[in-house]
Amino acid sequence: MISGEQLPRRSLLWLIVCQIAVMLPHLQRIPLWVVAVYLAAAIWRLQMFRQRAEMPGKWLRLLLGLLGAVLLFMSYGTFIGLEPMVALLLVAAALKLLEAIRERDGYLLVFLGFFICVTHFIFTQTLPATLYSLVCTGLLVTALIALNQSPGVGLSNHEPLLALKMLALAVPMMVVLFFLFPRIGPIWSVPSKSGQSITGMSDFLRPGAVTKLGRSAEIAFRAGFVGVIPENSALYWRGLVMSQFEQGAWRTLQWHEMPEVERKPIPPRVLAEPMRYRVVMEPTQQRWLYGMAYAESPTAGVYEATDYRLGVINPIEFQFGYEVTSWPKALMQPNLSDWRRHLETDFPEGLNPLSEAWVKDLREQHADDRNFIAALLSYFRAQPFYYTLEPPEILSADFVDKFMFESRRGFCEHYAYSFVAMLRMADIPARIVAGYQGGEVNPLNNTVVVRQFDAHAWAEVWLVGEGWTRVDPTAAVAPSRVEFGFEAAMDGQPGFLSDSLLSAYRFRGIRALDWVRLRYDALAFGWQSFIVGFDSTRQIELLKGWFGEIKVSWFVALLLGSWAAVLLPLMLWLNRQRSVSLMLPEEQRFSALCRRLEQRGCSRALGEAPLQTLRRARDHLPEADPLYLALEGAIADLYRR
Amino acid sequence: MGMLWWRSCVAKSMLSPASPKGGLKNFLLQRYRRWLNRRLPPARTIVLEQRRLFIFPTRQGFLFALTLLIMLLTAINYQNNLAYGLTFWVAMLFIVAVHFTHANLLKLEITGVRAESVYPGQHAEFCFRISCSRSRQGYRAVKLVWPGSEVLVDVPAGGEIDVSLHHKVTARGWFNPPRLRIESTYPLGLLRCWSFAYFDVRALVWPQPIRVERLAFSSAGKAGYDLSEQEGLDDLMGFRDYRIGDAPRLIDWRSHARGLPLQTKLYSSLVDEDNWLDWQDFPAGTVEQKLSWLCWLVLQHHGRGENFGLRLPELELPVAAGDRQRDRALRALALHDLNGESAG
Repeated sequence: MISGEQLPRRSLLWLIVCQIAVMLPHLQRIPLWVVAVYLAAAIWRLQMFRQRAEMPGKWLRLLLGLLGAVLLFMSYGTFIGLEPMVALLLVAAALKLLEAIRERDGYLLVFLGFFICVTHFIFTQTLPATLYSLVCTGLLVTALIALNQSPGVGLSNHEPLLALKMLALAVPMMVVLFFLFPRIGPIWSVPSKSGQSITGMSDFLRPGAVTKLGRSAEIAFRAGFVGVIPENSALYWRGLVMSQFEQGAWRTLQWHEMPEVERKPIPPRVLAEPMRYRVVMEPTQQRWLYGMAYAESPTAGVYEATDYRLGVINPIEFQFGYEVTSWPKALMQPNLSDWRRHLETDFPEGLNPLSEAWVKDLREQHADDRNFIAALLSYFRAQPFYYTLEPPEILSADFVDKFMFESRRGFCEHYAYSFVAMLRMADIPARIVAGYQGGEVNPLNNTVVVRQFDAHAWAEVWLVGEGWTRVDPTAAVAPSRVEFGFEAAMDGQPGFLSDSLLSAYRFRGIRALDWVRLRYDALAFGWQSFIVGFDSTRQIELLKGWFGEIKVSWFVALLLGSWAAVLLPLMLWLNRQRSVSLMLPEEQRFSALCRRLEQRGCSRALGEAPLQTLRRARDHLPEADPLYLALEGAIADLYRR
Repeated sequence: MGMLWWRSCVAKSMLSPASPKGGLKNFLLQRYRRWLNRRLPPARTIVLEQRRLFIFPTRQGFLFALTLLIMLLTAINYQNNLAYGLTFWVAMLFIVAVHFTHANLLKLEITGVRAESVYPGQHAEFCFRISCSRSRQGYRAVKLVWPGSEVLVDVPAGGEIDVSLHHKVTARGWFNPPRLRIESTYPLGLLRCWSFAYFDVRALVWPQPIRVERLAFSSAGKAGYDLSEQEGLDDLMGFRDYRIGDAPRLIDWRSHARGLPLQTKLYSSLVDEDNWLDWQDFPAGTVEQKLSWLCWLVLQHHGRGENFGLRLPELELPVAAGDRQRDRALRALALHDLNGESAG
């Protein structure tokens, strides 16, 4: 019945507004022609609205639909995948807008809009994206209300206001559902984001790999600490442990490359009090996590590798939060197996003849591993090595020779590479660790914000009785890098932050801006860890904290409670009946006087004329004189009316 | 919600015309109608109280539920908390909409104001007054539906609005309007709230006028009766007491001015026996035919401004003229021989 009715003209404007609104956040991931289709459809539809254009015929619409599908296939090469699907949805919405004639089409567009809003969350779950989606939802509900107005009602602020009111009333129940709805795993596998660029660290290290990160101020992750945040110089966030040297690059040993007995991580001996913190990572499309040595995570899905790093099975496509417990004083691998010793000392011979000779020389002076390492570090300190973001490029295979004895200008990975290579030449087990060092402390919520330019590479050396020990050759060259952070070491250097020209971070140091930035960052961290990172583990924790145990009856009671909390005031408010008086003011005065007569025992008879009432009252109550005067006046007014 | 389901299911079955066959169905239908009549008795003014209102999702509402399901599956499969949040928010909007849709009819007051009298085959106009006693919240997009006629209105807060609906009538006599459906899907269109109301307002349906030549059926044998030979109003025959409805020009104003009660002058033409429209004049024809002929004659006389009287088997209408006389005559004809109806 309804479906056959015409789309109200006024609602069309709202529909167009919200269609464009839900499309905008997808701009960065859809081909430009989709936007063109959208705008063309909107303009065409508006012209139809103004009766200056005809609706495209059935065949033309079919042709447009086919054309859209073909263009989509040409743009993406496939229909499977998240981006093509979103683009398909958007094209469908645009074409639907073009033929939106009936009321039914309007509903379809609104429902499609809700779904497009949801797809946006798959790509990003940041605070601004959420706020924008709130606006979109408001617009969609407004369009829905406009669809239901009776014809002839002009554009007014009534629809948006009512939409806001209704959405606000839905919030308490939504909150209860959000926290109580069981978080079950995926029911079936879904297409994932494709063509998302891998950000942050790469899984191998060759000279220049980390350097490029020094130009970006983007956030890599945030870590919220439960206790005191350690000194900047202790904040070594281990990501990858690279033991394998291959074709001029360092990489992590794959699980399948290990012999069976080596695959199980050996739990380290933990000492002293641990640190507890929660890390919320930005999506990297990679499979490793960051944590300070020695890190353990109770979060579901996080595993620990034999080289004491944390990893996940599937690439991190969305913001990911995990809890970490770290023992900085833990003894990692006090005993080294033969296989591992061989692995960690393996470096191709003959590649760097100069260095090999030099190391051999040095090794003869320092037979003890610790002394050798100290000597090597003091060499870095003593010789004119420079720490720079723009080192000369070294492409030849004898990288160590060229770096140590010729250029002597490099970034952290250059130092780590040469350092580990030379230790291995001296038959000391050593490996490269890639990750981040330092970070900006936000005292507001006790977090450390780690940005891409905090990327760092250092070395781990195996020492008898100490296990794997962190040694940072860069610290020998540029101590301020480690003491005060990368920023302090690099400020003023060309290249620093050159990729983040417009980042708010560039304007750090301006007090008012810092105030805003730190507050916003605290809010964003809270959002990420509490809302976006809310998972079944946290849910159970939270519910246990609230109710002691989890019962279905609690769930129902809470939901009903939130419903009643909204409903009861709502119903009272909606039905507030200030009785509307249909009486004239003169009538009101007269009836008020009659009530006073009644109090004195002379009520007005039904259907009695006012003058009659007065006459009768005079007979019955001779003493009430002043009242009669007033009554006479009132009756005179009444009749005059 | 269980109760609502049940109500609506019955309501659906009621909406489709009942087949003459199917004893059980008919029985249930009758039971339902009786129940509905008890629950929603006819009245002149009906206030849509809580117990009169029914609510159920519309087709769009079900489509909306499907959308929610897809959104929820997306949230589950991508384990996306914000998608969960949006899904729940929009889902709870549906619950809020239940209350808003319900409130958009609650306490709505409808009065059946009047109905127009018509001839069979015409559409009788029924006037309703819809008023809102709430001070803040008016009613929006309220639809009154009859088979074949519907009207969509907004009622401002504390205001009232008159609407009319039409219904085709077929048979002579009183026409009781069908049950009126009052419904609204406002604000979101996802739910429909409705109620039924029987109104104590009925339309009088006159007999269908059928042209007749009086000559052919005259029983008095006064052939050659010619309407043009009628005498004027000049022959004063006497006076009688004023009765409501007498034409002002027949009132003896002069005597009234002297302080006497109102008197009506009687002229010879007014008592002319030949101006009697008599049931007995039509020996042939069915009852309905006779009524139709008499109806036509009444209209003819009235059209020419003549006096006439009406004699039916059960009543006699004294000779008079004017709209009032015509209405009385037509009413008498309309209600002739109908059980339980007084001709008034």
